[in-house]
Amino acid sequence: MTALHKLGAIAALTIAASVLPHSASAADAKDKAAMAGMTGMAKKARVELASSAAFARDGQLLAVAKQGDHLLLYRSNDQGANWSPPVIVNARPEAISGDGENRPKIAFAQDGGVLISWTKPLGKPNTGEVRLARSDDGGASFAVPITVHRDRQEITHRFETMIVGGDGRIYLAWIDKRDLESAKATKKPYRGAAIYAAVSDDGGRSFKPETRVADHSCECCRIAAAVDTDGAPLILWRHVFEPNERDHALAKLKPDGTPASVERATFDRWKVDGCPHHGPALAVAPDGTRHAVWFNQKNGEGRAFYGRLVSGGIDGQRFVGGEQAARADIAIAGRRMAILWKEFDGERTQLHAEISEDGGASFKRLALGAANGASDHPRAIAFGKDLFAYWRTEIEGMRVFRLP
Amino acid sequence: MKRLVLLSLLLACVASAFAAGFVALDRKSARTLADGTTHTAPTIVALWSTDCPHCKKNLGLFTDMVKADPRLRLITVAVEPLSAEVVTSLDRNRVPGVRYVYGADAPEAIAFALDPKWRGELPRTLFFDGHGNRVAISGAVDRASTRKSLGLTDKR
Repeated sequence: MTALHKLGAIAALTIAASVLPHSASAADAKDKAAMAGMTGMAKKARVELASSAAFARDGQLLAVAKQGDHLLLYRSNDQGANWSPPVIVNARPEAISGDGENRPKIAFAQDGGVLISWTKPLGKPNTGEVRLARSDDGGASFAVPITVHRDRQEITHRFETMIVGGDGRIYLAWIDKRDLESAKATKKPYRGAAIYAAVSDDGGRSFKPETRVADHSCECCRIAAAVDTDGAPLILWRHVFEPNERDHALAKLKPDGTPASVERATFDRWKVDGCPHHGPALAVAPDGTRHAVWFNQKNGEGRAFYGRLVSGGIDGQRFVGGEQAARADIAIAGRRMAILWKEFDGERTQLHAEISEDGGASFKRLALGAANGASDHPRAIAFGKDLFAYWRTEIEGMRVFRLP
Repeated sequence: MKRLVLLSLLLACVASAFAAGFVALDRKSARTLADGTTHTAPTIVALWSTDCPHCKKNLGLFTDMVKADPRLRLITVAVEPLSAEVVTSLDRNRVPGVRYVYGADAPEAIAFALDPKWRGELPRTLFFDGHGNRVAISGAVDRASTRKSLGLTDKR
């Protein structure tokens, strides 16, 4: 490339940023332009399939997904067989993360409010803000979204998770690099990133100032959350234990978002200076047992695992699926439990499930379906006594499987 | 509106130059790229993405090593579709070599064809010694392990 081309490019991109109304639109234009010059085979935009689904108390299934600079909420009265025309969550367009580990989330406040959270990428690479929008009419319309944290530096506040505690408080936790950035500024070493949390006690209309949960999280894996039997939120994330072991840590949060406890949860000792891009999932049984699925490299082999988290160890750790099993999720409905995962078979991506009727003592295996194209991570959903798999795929769309 | 159209055209022209040399991978071309017999010189195939801080360290090291030793070849594979960020990440650091990005094929199929043992962690690097042998390493690497993985035993 000549210097002239470079100058032209910089000028054009600068113009784009100043003329187009929103940064995301500018980014889209840049990407389209970048693709125009690609040689070789078929060209493709980033497929942003990541979405979430959850049942409202009345049995309506809600799903949220990204389209361009908007989040769209779909509703189904027949467990995903048919979906309503979408409702726009954010009236004003903005950049939205919607791929891989970084998906929009749905939760329900105790007063019935529908809560949607997401990460809004900012201008610099790997930066973002955690956003939340609330609906008071069951998802027919949404209030103007808010940013849940006070820190407004253009740094990482991404990969949020959202959970409603037994006390009705709304907890959001995310990966935050403010401590890493401070350390960099003073030329001090700092492993990974940090986990921060913010709490709302008014149903998600406002949040108290955020607090640090733990230093040294990994940087780009999703965070899992579940409500403990006493109603307190538990969060499970990939951590960087000294010197570079990418295992998982578990924290129980107090009502103010500070940790009541932080402990090591997995012990696979995957030493790597790298990004697994593969976060865990967690579900708590009525008897308090903490069932988890996660991905790690153990003894040189990267595998999906299931196990029960106990203090200082894992009970019953075993593989989930075969060598290609990935993106496992878990849900519990009373004594029933479902583990989902996807597995590439050399041609297509297969969706599998294991169902337990006895609290995880034994499982039966099911093949649920396959995708020819790209696919989101599967989501296990519990509603009442029923378990469901939700899977958004590029070709087939939003698919819901009621698990027998 | 006219302004926007003109702007888009300008962007497209300029970015053509930017993106020249990017090749979109599908499962078939990925399989060829990962086949040791297709590499007759010591070759580094570096899998990376724009949201992976450790990838930048590896790309910086490989860039230095390739510039210092004309026997070595570097091929980069962004495990995501082409975007302005992919282009600028490589250009900013003057990373040499053929540049691949993920194309329209299913990402899992491309990944499997590149390396069935690879589970998506980044950076992932495939080292070819030029004699048909291949070594795959996840995570940040150093100069010594790179030379060893490429089968380079002479002291330089």
